[in-house]
Amino acid sequence: MHSAPPSPGDRPAGADPAGPTRVLVADDEDDIRQLVSLAVRKAGCQVIASAPDGTAALTAARAELPDLAVLDVSMPGATGLEICAALREDPATAGIRILLLSAGASPDEVARGLSAGADAYLAKPFTVVGLVEQVRALASREAVA
Amino acid sequence: MTIAVLDPPAPAAARRRHRLLDPTGWQTAAGNLLPGTVMFAAASLLLLVGALPVVRPALVHTGLAIAFAAIAGAWSLRRPLAGAGALAVPVAHLAAIALLYAGSAAPTILFLLVSPLWTLSTHAGRRGVPVAVAGTAVVLALPQLIGAHLPGTATMPGALLLGPLVVAVGGAAINVGTRRNADQARDIARLQREQAALLAQVRSRADELDTASRILAARAQTMTSVIDAVTEQSIIGTDRDGTIRVWNPGAEKMLGVPRPEVVRTRSILDFHVPEELASAAEANGSASGLDALVHAARERGSDVRDWTYVAADGRHRTVSVAITPRSDDRGTHAGWNFVGTDMTEVRATERMKDQFVSLISHELRTPLSSILGYLELVMDDEDAPLTDEQRQYLSTVERNAQRLLRLVGDLLFTAQVESGRFTLQPAAVDLAGVVRAAEETARVAAAAAGVQLVVDVPDDGLVVDGDAVRLGQACDNLVSNAVKFTPAGGRVELVLRPAWRTPDGEVTGSPAPDAAPVALLSVADTGMGIPAGEQGQMFTRFFRTSNAQRNAVPGVGLGLTITKAITTAHGGTLDLVSTEGVGTTFTMTLPVPA
Repeated sequence: MHSAPPSPGDRPAGADPAGPTRVLVADDEDDIRQLVSLAVRKAGCQVIASAPDGTAALTAARAELPDLAVLDVSMPGATGLEICAALREDPATAGIRILLLSAGASPDEVARGLSAGADAYLAKPFTVVGLVEQVRALASREAVA
Repeated sequence: MTIAVLDPPAPAAARRRHRLLDPTGWQTAAGNLLPGTVMFAAASLLLLVGALPVVRPALVHTGLAIAFAAIAGAWSLRRPLAGAGALAVPVAHLAAIALLYAGSAAPTILFLLVSPLWTLSTHAGRRGVPVAVAGTAVVLALPQLIGAHLPGTATMPGALLLGPLVVAVGGAAINVGTRRNADQARDIARLQREQAALLAQVRSRADELDTASRILAARAQTMTSVIDAVTEQSIIGTDRDGTIRVWNPGAEKMLGVPRPEVVRTRSILDFHVPEELASAAEANGSASGLDALVHAARERGSDVRDWTYVAADGRHRTVSVAITPRSDDRGTHAGWNFVGTDMTEVRATERMKDQFVSLISHELRTPLSSILGYLELVMDDEDAPLTDEQRQYLSTVERNAQRLLRLVGDLLFTAQVESGRFTLQPAAVDLAGVVRAAEETARVAAAAAGVQLVVDVPDDGLVVDGDAVRLGQACDNLVSNAVKFTPAGGRVELVLRPAWRTPDGEVTGSPAPDAAPVALLSVADTGMGIPAGEQGQMFTRFFRTSNAQRNAVPGVGLGLTITKAITTAHGGTLDLVSTEGVGTTFTMTLPVPA
């Protein structure tokens, strides 16, 4: 829906010679986190960390330096937007691609998400197919940094 | 003087008084005649008793007859004779005196000359004096002429000359004096009239002024009592510089400061938050806090918005303030009016409601995300295909989950519309495509209900500026409503046409002067219709028609509210025509970019 357009050289991330794209998944809802992880794997990526709240997500992102972070917007500890801003501030993590997931789908929320530094924004409820496409698109994109 | 222009018609009583005081009136006539009458009566008496000799009775009798005939004639007229006529009586008297003098041969009789000579000398014109001179000469000369013997005849030639000369000089002097007096009297009379007129005018002005000030006082009293009766709204009036002049009990209650402590001494700005004024000044480019406060009211004539008032105890109140410029009696801008309603609790409630709706919709969306996501995984799992029966059951689950999701979306959207946080993502949208998509969405439900769907849109499309998602939602709502409320065998027609809307709201199919081009979408059904009494409430949130409830048509009463809000946000209109048992037609117009 509110996704960034796929880059021209769209290709499955799994075909990358440097190994599959490493993804951090953060959502306070276990069921959703599991669903997102499934979609990430369907997209040919590897889930290297799974965080149930904002604090854990930030810690994991700094420790593991994933290629892509799929973050829920409203989480205890730190919101997706706050994590976004924190990651962009630090040169070490500024290159991590970020996909935000949120139940709030109003245009200004999307705008706030993107201005916080997210690469793409997906409103809940999302379709698994849509999420897979989005993850693939981001995985194939060159690192921002 | 221009008094005549201003002079109102004198009342009848004043006019009567004027006529009685008129110097040409009856009293003057009597005054002129009386001395002559008395003198001739006295002469008659003297002649009768023999105090004066009667030498020639014929002349004496003729003389008295002429004298009294003239007097009787003048009395009978009861008004002074004008012009030459005024000379008639004295001339007759002179003739009579001449005859009496000749008839009596007594110079004493000449005392009678006083009356006619006086009358002639004081005659308004200049003719009186020569007539008097000639008359005197005739009187004095007549005895000579008829050869009557008079005593002292030796002196007569001198008297004949001297008499008329004295009369001439004396008469001329009297005449000039009289005329001057008459002029003065006329002037005085005129001035008196003018003075009376002015006085009347002043009196009537004074009366008017008195009435006007009483009306003004009554009005001011009414205004004050009305303003004082307002205890739940603050009414504050200020000078142009913001100094407070009016402070009603509502303001006392809201801000906790009694009237005497603010009027003429405090500024409206003392009750505002300086930071709020500063940021407003920055936003609208004003130089001062007061300018920022009244900026919009100055631009548009009035302004209503929320401001924060600071009460005496330091509490902040959110107040919806209507600001208008105030003019004095000459129409000059004199200051500002601030009428405020305390919205602190209302705004807090609104915020809570917003937060609640957001929270609820978030909390509802999260489980729905799980349900729909996992359903998708199960239904699309190529490794473990479902049986037809399983697929049918799960489709039902998915359809209902989607329905729940739409309801949550509608609720959230309605809350956004209510709080004014609803924004559009405008782009060029082909309405023909939107209508076809709506038909496609409703096709399955229509077929299941046995309702025929007919679409009639322009082949080359019809483009408007709008939010494609929201317009699709509005169109879907209208079509799904029409299908829901139409019994089997019925028909729903979707027609899209270019049209024109005149400034007074009329929509026509052909271009008209001043009319703006619009896209006209009508959705007509052959359904159960809407009772006339309920049609006005159709766009009210959560309203459901009695037909919908009786026929157990599913819905919560948000669809039309949302459709109306979307249409209005696009600058369009949404109307309906309905007849119970015949059908309903919803008509939507959206502006087409020129």
